[in-house]
Amino acid sequence: MHTLSAFELNKKFLSGEVTAQAIAEHFLQRIKKYNDELGCFLAVFDNEVLQQAKALDEKKAKGEPLGKLAGVPIAIKDNIQFEGHKTTCGSKFLEDYVAPYTASCVSHLISEDALIMGKTNLDEFAMGSSSEHSAYFPVKNPWDLKRAPGGSSGGSAAAVAARLVPIALGSDTGGSIRQPASFTGTFGYKPTYGRVSRYGLVAFGSSFDVIGPFTNSAQDTSMVMEVLGRPCPHDGTSYQELPEPYLDHIDNSLQGKKIGVPWDFIESMEGESLQLFKQGLEVLKKLGCEIIDCKLPLLKHSIPVYYILSTAEASTNLARFDGIRYGTRSKEAQTLDEIYDLSKRDGFGAEVRQRIMLGTFVLSSEHQEVFYRKAQRVRTLIINEYKDAFKECDIIATPTAPNPAFELDSIKDPLKMYLQDLYTIGANLAGLPAISVPCGHFDGKLPCGIQFFGKQGDDAKILQFAHQFESEQTFEPSIPSRYA
Amino acid sequence: MNQYEAYELVIGLEVHVQLNTRTKLFSSAPNRFGDEPNMNIGIVDTGQPGALPVINKEAVNKAIMFGKAIDAEIPLYSRFDRKSYFYPDSPRNFQITQFDHPIVIGGKVVADVEGKSKTFQIHHAHLEDDAGMLKHFNSFAGIDYNRAGAPLIEIVSEPCMHSPKDASAYAMAVRAIMQYIGASECNMEEGQMRMDVNVSVRKKGETTFRPKAEIKNMNSFTFMEWAIEAEFVRQVQEYEKNPDKPFEEVIEQATLRFDIEKKKTVKMRSKEQAADYRYFPEPDIPPVVLTKEYIDEIGKNLPELPHERYSRYVEQLELGEYNASLLVNDKRLSDYFEEALKECDNGKAVCNWVTVEFVGRIKETGTHIADFGIPPQYIGELVTLIDKKTITGKIAKSVADDMVQHPNKSPSDIVKENPDYQPMSDTSAIEPLIDQVLSENPGSIEDYKNGKDKAYNYLVGQVMKLTRGKASPDVVKDLLSKKLG
Amino acid sequence: MYSFTDDDIDRLSKLARIQITQDGKERLRGNLEKVVRYVEQLSEVPTENVPLCVHVNDKNQSVFRADEVEHDLTREAFLANAPDQVGGMIKTPPVIKFE
Repeated sequence: MHTLSAFELNKKFLSGEVTAQAIAEHFLQRIKKYNDELGCFLAVFDNEVLQQAKALDEKKAKGEPLGKLAGVPIAIKDNIQFEGHKTTCGSKFLEDYVAPYTASCVSHLISEDALIMGKTNLDEFAMGSSSEHSAYFPVKNPWDLKRAPGGSSGGSAAAVAARLVPIALGSDTGGSIRQPASFTGTFGYKPTYGRVSRYGLVAFGSSFDVIGPFTNSAQDTSMVMEVLGRPCPHDGTSYQELPEPYLDHIDNSLQGKKIGVPWDFIESMEGESLQLFKQGLEVLKKLGCEIIDCKLPLLKHSIPVYYILSTAEASTNLARFDGIRYGTRSKEAQTLDEIYDLSKRDGFGAEVRQRIMLGTFVLSSEHQEVFYRKAQRVRTLIINEYKDAFKECDIIATPTAPNPAFELDSIKDPLKMYLQDLYTIGANLAGLPAISVPCGHFDGKLPCGIQFFGKQGDDAKILQFAHQFESEQTFEPSIPSRYA
Repeated sequence: MNQYEAYELVIGLEVHVQLNTRTKLFSSAPNRFGDEPNMNIGIVDTGQPGALPVINKEAVNKAIMFGKAIDAEIPLYSRFDRKSYFYPDSPRNFQITQFDHPIVIGGKVVADVEGKSKTFQIHHAHLEDDAGMLKHFNSFAGIDYNRAGAPLIEIVSEPCMHSPKDASAYAMAVRAIMQYIGASECNMEEGQMRMDVNVSVRKKGETTFRPKAEIKNMNSFTFMEWAIEAEFVRQVQEYEKNPDKPFEEVIEQATLRFDIEKKKTVKMRSKEQAADYRYFPEPDIPPVVLTKEYIDEIGKNLPELPHERYSRYVEQLELGEYNASLLVNDKRLSDYFEEALKECDNGKAVCNWVTVEFVGRIKETGTHIADFGIPPQYIGELVTLIDKKTITGKIAKSVADDMVQHPNKSPSDIVKENPDYQPMSDTSAIEPLIDQVLSENPGSIEDYKNGKDKAYNYLVGQVMKLTRGKASPDVVKDLLSKKLG
Repeated sequence: MYSFTDDDIDRLSKLARIQITQDGKERLRGNLEKVVRYVEQLSEVPTENVPLCVHVNDKNQSVFRADEVEHDLTREAFLANAPDQVGGMIKTPPVIKFE
C-alpha cells in the first residue's frame, strides 16, 4: 500500500477497495517500525488518526460527500501550528508549547478529509540545510542512514522517501524543501511566494518563507496544491484568489517550450553532479524542449543577499521567544533581565543564536545602510534579472544541490553549510515557484534532483513540467531498498 | 530684564490618540477598555508564533479623515515598519509603526490661544499599534495584553509652539477634531489621548534649535502646562549657570516625566542607552496603496469640523468667542447644545442656560450634562417659556432647580404642577401690592421724585418680593410708573 | 575587511538580548567575522538609484480586514502556555519602572 501514490490511495478509498482505517493502520505501523532509525517524526497522532479514519469510513458508508484528499495520510513539519498539539520547531525553547490555533494550510487539508499523521523533525526554527540541528535528534537519510537527508525539512523529506506517508508538508526559506527533496529522491515543491497562506507557519524569513509539499509524484503535488493554495484572509501577503486547477494542466505537452540554463552560474559544478544535470536536460529535449543559455550574472550574490535579509527578518521574528508569554523560561532567572538573556541562551541552539546575532548586526543603525539596505537593493536587481530572463524562456533549469547527501556531522563550517543553498536561494529571493524533481542517482546510489523555476504565478506551468518530465522517464530505484 | 525674559520656549508635541475602531489595528480582537485582564486578546496580539498582522481598513479610513480635516497630504503609497525593543508589554518585542512613509504628511491645526487665533503646523501623522499594560506589584509584575495591538494614531507637530498655552490649545484642538470626525472620544482618564512634549529653549532671536528634552506620557492639559513651565525654568537656569559650555553638554537629550507633587521634571531611569530601534520595512504587510478617488470620497463626507462649528457659533449665533470656544472644545457639550437648539433657536439664551445655569447646578456631581439625564430639549423648552413670557426669568431659575431634582420632568409640566410658578399677569392682583409697597416706603417715593433711580429699582424689588417673583417685572414697572406719575 | 571586537559582541548581545557564554564568544566571533566578510562582496554591486525590494509579491494589492470582531484566542488557551501567571495576567519578576 505504501508504494501507492496519494492519488491512487484516494481512488482506492473512494472505490471501496480499501478502508480509511486500513490505510491509517498500515502507515502508522510503518512509522512505528522505522521512525527510531530515521528520526522523521517528533510526534505521531496514533489514536486521533485512527478515530478520524473510522469517522471517515462512516461518512463514506452514509454516502456523504467526501473531500478531495479523503483517506490520504499527510505529515506536517513541526514549525506549522496544529491546534491542541505541540509545535516545537525542533527547539528546546518550545518543547512544551501547545498550539492554540491551526495554520490555514492545515485547516484546508483537514476540510478535505486528509488524515494528519504527526509532526516531522527539522533543523531548529528551520535554520539549517541538514536537519542535524534539531534540538531533539537528527534525521537520517533513508538512502543511507549515515547521511543527512538535507534540511531544514529533513523529517518530511525522509518520511515521504521511506514511504511512511505519501505526502508531507515542509517550509522553504532558502531551499529547505528542494534541497532535501534532491537528497532523498522526492518531489519537493516551493510554490510562488504568497500562493499558500503563511498563517500558522512559525516565521523565519517573512519575505522568503513558503509552505510546500513533499511527494513521490508530480500528480500528487498538483492534487495537494489545489487544496493548499486556497486563499486565507489572515495573511496579508498571500494571494486572495483561488489557485488554478493544477491537475487539469499537467498533461499538456511541452513541445516547443524553451528552457533557460544559466551556464555561467553553474560552471563551478563538475563531475557527476554536472553529468546528472545534463542527463536531466536530455529528458527535456526528448519532450520537445529547446535548451537555451540564460544570463543571470547577479545570482552569484544570492547567498550573501539571502543571509543578510533572512537573518535580519529572523532576528525580529524570533524576538518574541522571550520566555514571558510562552516557551521555556530559564529556571536560573531571578529578574526580568535574566529571563530575557538566559531563556534564549538556554533554549536556542548555537546556529539559531548565531543567525539572530548576524541579523541584529546587519540591522543595527551603524551598519544597516551598508548591509541590510544594500542587500535589499541587490535583491531588486536580482528580481529584475529573473524577469528579463523569463522574457526569453518558459522556465529556468538548474541542478538543485551542489552535491549528493553528505555524511552526518561532516560539515562544521557554517559558511560551507550556507553554500548548500547555492542553486535554490534565487527562487526565494524572487518569490518564484520552483520544484526539485528526481533525475538520477550518484554512482547509482544517492539520489539527485533537477530544479525547474518559473515566473511568479507560474505554478501550473512548473507542475506541468514536473509531471511531463516524470512521465517521460523515471529513475530507478525510486524507493530506497530498505523501505520498499 | 530677568534671565527668563531673554529666552523663548520651543515646543513640539507628539500626541498619541487611540482610535475607536471596533477591533484592533492588526487583528480582529475587540478594541475595548476596562474588561478583565486578557479577555480581549488574539493570536496576533499575544505574539503567538505564526501570527500575521492584517490591517484594519477602518483605522486607515479614520487616519485619512484626520488628514483631510487638517488639510494634510495623504500620499497614495504608505507603508509600515518594524521598531525593535524588548519590554514585557510588547507581545512581539517589536512594534509595527510607520517610520519612512506615514499615511498623513503635513497639515495644520487652528486653535484659539487666549483670544487669539493661531495656526500650528503638523509634520506628519502615522498609525502604529499600542503595547499591553504592565501592572506593578511589590514582588512581581502582571501583564495584561488587552490593550496590545490597539490602533494608535500619532500626530507629530512641528516645533512651532512657544508657550504652555500654545501647547494646550493645540492639544485641545487636536482632541476636538478627533471627536468631531468620530475617530476617538479622547477620554484622557482612559488613556485614549497621551502627549509627549519636546521642550527646548533658546535666546530670543536665535533661529537654530538647541537640544531638547522629552516629557513623556502627559494625560492632562493642566499638568502639561505646569511641566512645560517647570522645564523652561530648569533649562534656562542650566544655560545661565553654564554660559561657556556647548549646548549639548548643558542640556542632555533625555526622557523625563513630570512629578506632580514636586512640580518638577524628573529624568526617567533609562533601561538602555540610546535605544537602537533598527527600523526596517514590515515584510508581512504589503504597502497601503490608495487612489485619489478613495481619499477624495472620504474628504467629501467629513462631518462639521470644530473650526466650522466655531465660525457658525460666532457668526450666525453671535455667541461670542469665549462661549463658542467653550462649546466647541467639548463636543458632547456642543452636541447637547445643538439638540437644545432644535427646540428653541434663541442661541444666546440657550447657551447661557446650558453652559452656566445647568452646568453650574450639577457641577458638584461630577457628571457631564450630557450624561445627567435631562433631555436637551427640555432646556430649549425652558428658554421658550421665558421668551414667551409664560414665566419670568426668576421663576425659571426655580424651575431649573426642579429639573435637576427630577430630570425626566419637562419644564412645562413642572410649571403646570406648581401654583407658585404660575405667572401673575393679572394687574388687579398686582395693583394692591404696589399700593402696599408705596404706602410702606414714603421715603423712597421722595427719593425717586428727587431723581434717584435707585429708589425706583428698590420699589420694584419690593413689589417683586411680595409677588414672590411671579409677576412679570415689565408689568410691575409699568403699573408702578403709572402710579408714581 | 570587517572584524568584531569583544565590545562589538557584547553590544550585539545586549541588543539581541541573548547572553553569550565566554567560550561561546570566541566561536561566535569567528563565525560572524567569516560570514560578514563573505557578505561584504555585495559592496561590488552597483546599486545607485535602485529601490529597496520591500515586497516580493508582484501583485502589489493592499489586503485589508473589515472592522468586525472575531475571537480567536481565549484567556484560558493563552495562559495554558504561560510559564507563570497571576490573576489572569502573565506573571514576571518585578519590572523596574521607567522612573
